[in-house]
Amino acid sequence: MGLSAVAGLALVLYAVFLVLPVLLSLETSFTNQNILFPGSKFVGLANYARLLHDSSFFSSIEFTLGLAAGATIAANVIGLCLALLLNRTGLSYRILRTLAFLPQVISGIIVGFVWSWMLSPTGLVNSLLTGTGLVSQPVNWLGEPRLATLSVGVVVSWVLSGFTTVVYLAALQNIPRELYEASSIDGASSRQQFRLITFRMVAPATTISVVISLITVLKLYDIITAMTNGGPGFATRSVAMYIISVGFSDDAYGYASSIAMVLLVLTGVLALSVTAVLRRREVSL
Amino acid sequence: MIAQERTAAAWAPGTPAPRRSAGRVARQVRAQARAILAVLVILAFVIPIYLTVVNAFKTNPAINSSPGSVPLHPTLGNLSAALRQPGDVLQVGLRNSVIVVACSVALLIPLGSAFSFWITRKRTRPRAVIIAVLAAGLMIPPQITVLPVIRILVHLGLDHSYPGLILSNIGGGYLSFAVFVYVGFLRAIPAEVVEAARIDGASSLRIWWTIIMPLVRPATATVGIFLSLWIWNDFLNPLLIIGPISGQTVTVGLYDSVSSQVQPDYGLQFGFMFLAALIPVAGYLLAQKQFRAGLTVGASR
Repeated sequence: MGLSAVAGLALVLYAVFLVLPVLLSLETSFTNQNILFPGSKFVGLANYARLLHDSSFFSSIEFTLGLAAGATIAANVIGLCLALLLNRTGLSYRILRTLAFLPQVISGIIVGFVWSWMLSPTGLVNSLLTGTGLVSQPVNWLGEPRLATLSVGVVVSWVLSGFTTVVYLAALQNIPRELYEASSIDGASSRQQFRLITFRMVAPATTISVVISLITVLKLYDIITAMTNGGPGFATRSVAMYIISVGFSDDAYGYASSIAMVLLVLTGVLALSVTAVLRRREVSL
Repeated sequence: MIAQERTAAAWAPGTPAPRRSAGRVARQVRAQARAILAVLVILAFVIPIYLTVVNAFKTNPAINSSPGSVPLHPTLGNLSAALRQPGDVLQVGLRNSVIVVACSVALLIPLGSAFSFWITRKRTRPRAVIIAVLAAGLMIPPQITVLPVIRILVHLGLDHSYPGLILSNIGGGYLSFAVFVYVGFLRAIPAEVVEAARIDGASSLRIWWTIIMPLVRPATATVGIFLSLWIWNDFLNPLLIIGPISGQTVTVGLYDSVSSQVQPDYGLQFGFMFLAALIPVAGYLLAQKQFRAGLTVGASR
C-alpha cells in the first residue's frame, strides 16, 4: 500500500461524506421526499416556489443575516480593541490573554444555558439592574422578540470575540518593532502609528477573522438552541435551525433540502465576496 | 500603543529631562488605567464560566439567593447528583465523547497529512481543483450535509452508530481543516529534503512517515488540538446521527438532560456543566502554548 492509496482513501471519504451529501441535497430539493417514506417523485422547482411564499423562511433569513452582520462587525471591533489592550508583556497580561479565549473552549450548549439563566426575569442581570436602580422592573430579555434577538446577538458577539482577539493578538505580535521605532524617529504620533502601521499590518488577519466569524454565525446552531430554542415564537430561529426543524420535525425532507441549498449559496456568495473585498483592501491600504 | 510610545520616549534623542519625569508619572497612571480596564473586560469574558464553577458547589437555595457569590458552604451534592442521573448520562456521555474524539482525530491526522503531502507534490492542474473542492468543505454548513449523510449511513448499515458518526467526522469538513493546515506547512519544506530521501530509495509512504511527519509536528499539534475541541463540542451531528437510543456524547447528553427538566434544578445543571466542561478546559490550559502557536500560523497566512 503506497502513499497514493492513503491519499485516495482520504479523497473517497471526503467524496462520500461531503461532496455526495451536497449533491444529494441538491437532487432532493427537486423532490417531495420525506424521511419516513423515501419513495419520492420529482416536483421540479415546486419547493423553491414554496419558499417564496414562506414567511417563516424569510424571517429566518432576516434574523440570520442580521445576526451575521451584527456579530461579525461587533466581534471584530471588540477583538481588535481587546488585542491592542492585551498586547503587553508580563505574567498578568499572559493570564488575561489565556482567559480571553475561554468562551471558545466550552461548548455552545453550556454558553447558551448559562446565559439564558443569567438573562431570565429572576436572573443575575436583572437583579443587578434592579438592585442598582437602573430599571424599576425586571427586563424580559428572552421573552420579547426584539430583546431576544439583541440578547442572542450580544452573546454570539461575546463568544466570537474570544476567537477574534486571539487572531488579532497573533497578528499584532508579528508586526516588526522597527516599524514603530523608525516612525517615531520621524515624529509620527501614536494615532498616526495606529492608522499607518498597526491597521495596515493587521489587514490580512482582519480578512481571515471576518470571514471565519461570518461563516461561524451563518451555521450557528448550538448556542441559539440552548439559549432560546428559536423563541419567543420563532423570533430567533436561524436558517440553519429552520432546515433541521423542517427536515426532522415536519419530515419534509425535499423542502428542507431546498432551504439548505439557499443557505449553501448564501454562505458561498457572502464568504467569497467578503474575502474578495477584504483582499483588495489589504493591497489598497 | 503605549508600549511603543515608551520605546519612542526612551529613544528620542535630546528630550529634556524634566519633561521626561513628568511623562513617566503620566505613563504610570495610564499603564494602571490600562491594566484595570483589561481586567474588567476579561471579567466580562469569564463571568459565565465563573458562575458555572461557583454554582456547581452551591445548594439550590444558595444559588437562588446569591447567584454570584463564591460558595460559602461548598457542597459536592450537585456533582454527585449529576453522576447519579438515570442511565448514567454523564458517565456514558464522557466515555462516548472520548471515544469519538480519539478515533476521529487519530484517523484525521494521518489521512490529512498523507493526503496533503501527496497533493503538494502534484504539479498539475488537478491539484488546484482538488484543493479548491477541499477548501469549500471549510464553509459548508453541516446543516446542509447532515440529512443526506444519515441516508448514506443507512445504506452502509452504520446509522445510529458510533462508527457511522466517526466515519462522517473523518470525511467531512474536519478533513478540509486538517488539509488546509498541513498544506500550508508543507509549502515551507524544501523539495530537496524529499528528493534526497528519494535518491536513497525510500518509498513515498516511508518518506511521509519518517521524514515529513516529524517536520510538520507543529501542524499536527494545531490540527489535533482544534479538531479535538470542535468534535468534543459538536452538537448537531451526534444529536441527529446517533439519535436518542444508543446513548449520547456528553454535549448532547447535557442538552437532553437540561432541556427535559420540567422544574429546573439549577444545582444539578451547574454540576453537570462543570463536569462536562472540565476536560476541554483542562486540555486547553495544558496545551496553551501549541494553541497560540497554531493560531499564529493561521493568522499569518
